Amino acid sequence: MKGFKHLLMLIIIALPILCAPTSALAAENSSSATNTSQVANNDSLQKIKQKGTLVVGLSADYPPYEFTTKQNGKTKYVGFEVSLARQFAKDLGVKLVIKNMDFDSLLVALETGKIDVIISGMNVTNERKKSVDFSNTYYSGDSYFLINKSDKDKLVNAKSFNGKTVGAQNGTLQSSLIAKEMPQATGKGLAKLSSLVIGLQSHKYDGILMDAATAKAYAANNSNLYAFNSKLPNTAGGIAMAFPKGDTSLVNAANQTIKKVNSENLINKKWIPQASQYMKSYKKQNTILSYWRYFAKGIEYTLIITIVSVFFGFILGTLFALMRLSKNKLLHSIAVCYIEFLRGTPMMVQIMFVYFGIGAIIQSLPALLAGIIAVSLNSGAYVAEIIRSGIQSIPLGQTEAARSLGMSKSETFHYVIMPQALKNIWPALGNELITLLKDSSLVSVIGVTELMYQTQLVQSATYKGVLPLFITMIIYFILTFTLSRILLYFEGRMKHAH
Amino acid sequence: MPTKMIEIKNLQKKFKNIIVLKDISEQVNKGQVICIIGPSGAGKSTFLRCLNALEQPSSGQVLFEGQELIGLDDKKLDQLREKMGMVFQGFNLFPNMTVLKNITIAPIKVKKVDESTAEKTAMSLLTKVGLADKANQYPDQLSGGQRQRVAIARALAMNPEVMLFDEPTSALDPEMVDEVLKVMRDLANSGMTMVVVTHEMGFAREVADQIWFMADGYIQETGTPEEFFNHPTTPRAQDFLKKILK
Repeated sequence: MKGFKHLLMLIIIALPILCAPTSALAAENSSSATNTSQVANNDSLQKIKQKGTLVVGLSADYPPYEFTTKQNGKTKYVGFEVSLARQFAKDLGVKLVIKNMDFDSLLVALETGKIDVIISGMNVTNERKKSVDFSNTYYSGDSYFLINKSDKDKLVNAKSFNGKTVGAQNGTLQSSLIAKEMPQATGKGLAKLSSLVIGLQSHKYDGILMDAATAKAYAANNSNLYAFNSKLPNTAGGIAMAFPKGDTSLVNAANQTIKKVNSENLINKKWIPQASQYMKSYKKQNTILSYWRYFAKGIEYTLIITIVSVFFGFILGTLFALMRLSKNKLLHSIAVCYIEFLRGTPMMVQIMFVYFGIGAIIQSLPALLAGIIAVSLNSGAYVAEIIRSGIQSIPLGQTEAARSLGMSKSETFHYVIMPQALKNIWPALGNELITLLKDSSLVSVIGVTELMYQTQLVQSATYKGVLPLFITMIIYFILTFTLSRILLYFEGRMKHAH
Repeated sequence: MPTKMIEIKNLQKKFKNIIVLKDISEQVNKGQVICIIGPSGAGKSTFLRCLNALEQPSSGQVLFEGQELIGLDDKKLDQLREKMGMVFQGFNLFPNMTVLKNITIAPIKVKKVDESTAEKTAMSLLTKVGLADKANQYPDQLSGGQRQRVAIARALAMNPEVMLFDEPTSALDPEMVDEVLKVMRDLANSGMTMVVVTHEMGFAREVADQIWFMADGYIQETGTPEEFFNHPTTPRAQDFLKKILK
């Protein structure tokens, strides 16, 4: 009966949390529905011009479409679609802002208003047409297989993959092509193309299906890889920009840019050669060490997320621990629900929920802030339980002695209970801190440039998979090991507080 | 006419269905030393803890210098507790602080006494209880008797008007009892008002102005040590004395 009551309470608490973003989404949907009516037709273009920026979403691990290069130590997005995006922004007379994220996050980001347009090798399909408005196409390519060169003789066409494993990037045309056209092969999907290539090199997959330009780029940059045309029927209508449903005026503006670009054949004549140039210049300076700035930036953000989240997590944790210990039944129940819910759902989901869900209400919520909020909230739940156990480990006599001396409740807590509790829970808190530092890597899913995210950039920039991972692993270890030494030092200093 | 310090009127205390204190009305005058004795389970400690509201009575009144304690808001209660020192059976020293800090923390944080004054007072109290050389040690480096003497000094540092002792020697090894009783005896001689729950009959007989004999949730009889130990009037007291003097 009691358990049922708790469950009910949980649902009651969770309900508004769950409903809020959906209703916001619904509100957005209805507002975009009005956009389709003639009145709001010109709104989208005007809005972009008013805010002065065009936010383009792309998945920058897709040379020569879009990828990253290093210039004076700074990450720069290049590739022919980046050139196209730049041209589009220039034609609109606004500043270009690029948001790099996983390909399968792009549609959600567009839907929730995080980005204005997707320019990321997105093929026009009927399914996608249901949720976005496409511009005219500006490029179309066949699907190619990328394989290990050693398999060159065995794997010659789509049929030769029967009984074998073929990888494709999640959410791409190619991943659905495998399902539809290659029923005898096992399809495997990953979010990052670079991860797929590592999988190919370590023989997790026999081949990867991707678009022609990218496959050729990989083969050209890695002598162990080989690319060939899959000759699979191309059900797609080519590559186009994707806009939120109803942004007609913006689509029209894009079509003008595309028309101009197509008529001058800019993509094939100028931009792809340019992109290849970047890829070649990479190869020359393609030592991992020259990417130290990537790692440095990653460490910086990882530390920022960790430190800020630990701070707020500790405050939240203390607050909820006190609420849970409170005699006030309402406060107690709120704390119990919070702790159980946050501990009972995956942090990855929470991070995405805060960014895409809460972000739907507060449009300008930056990814870093969203990540810090999610990690802090999550950590708060764990810290609350640790602190509660610490407070409860202090004998009642300590409180009575302090109160009998005339100390108030808060003075007693501050000077007598907490210092002793802290000493008791220090190892557990240290554990949580180290876990938090490592878990901050999950924030990479929403595109925060912390260590894991930067590692993925290095992977795709260097065409090397394992080495950057190894370096990152060592960096994480150095960070956590230093942290545990520091914690141990303070534990020693609290020797007498038991 | 003696000055009333604590007045207890029709005090009752229930824990769920068990009535621990049934109906107690008594008073403590300024300068008096009261020893509360009686069999275990009589409610002695509960009664003592009601005097500074560590335990909330179920009904009745406790007045300190005419001020009702029950139902007082936290801030006023804290102010009253400053005037009522308490010493516990289990010492309850703060293990994370040195002896000196244990004594100075409340004056500094509650009374806002400046640190050097508080430390001077603490040192003179430590000298009084014979532990001046232990000022910078931590409680876990002291023996039980030493800890209890520090606890007494800690309570005295707030300059209380009454001291409540809750079986202060019951948790001590026998050879350490005397050093604590000596400190309490000195305190009584200095004119401190004291309410002491104890099993030390020798101490009670020698130091107390009044003995309150408690059993079964009542104060069965009160009187001078002479009256109580030599001519107990209630059968309950006679029975108790017979047992312990065997």
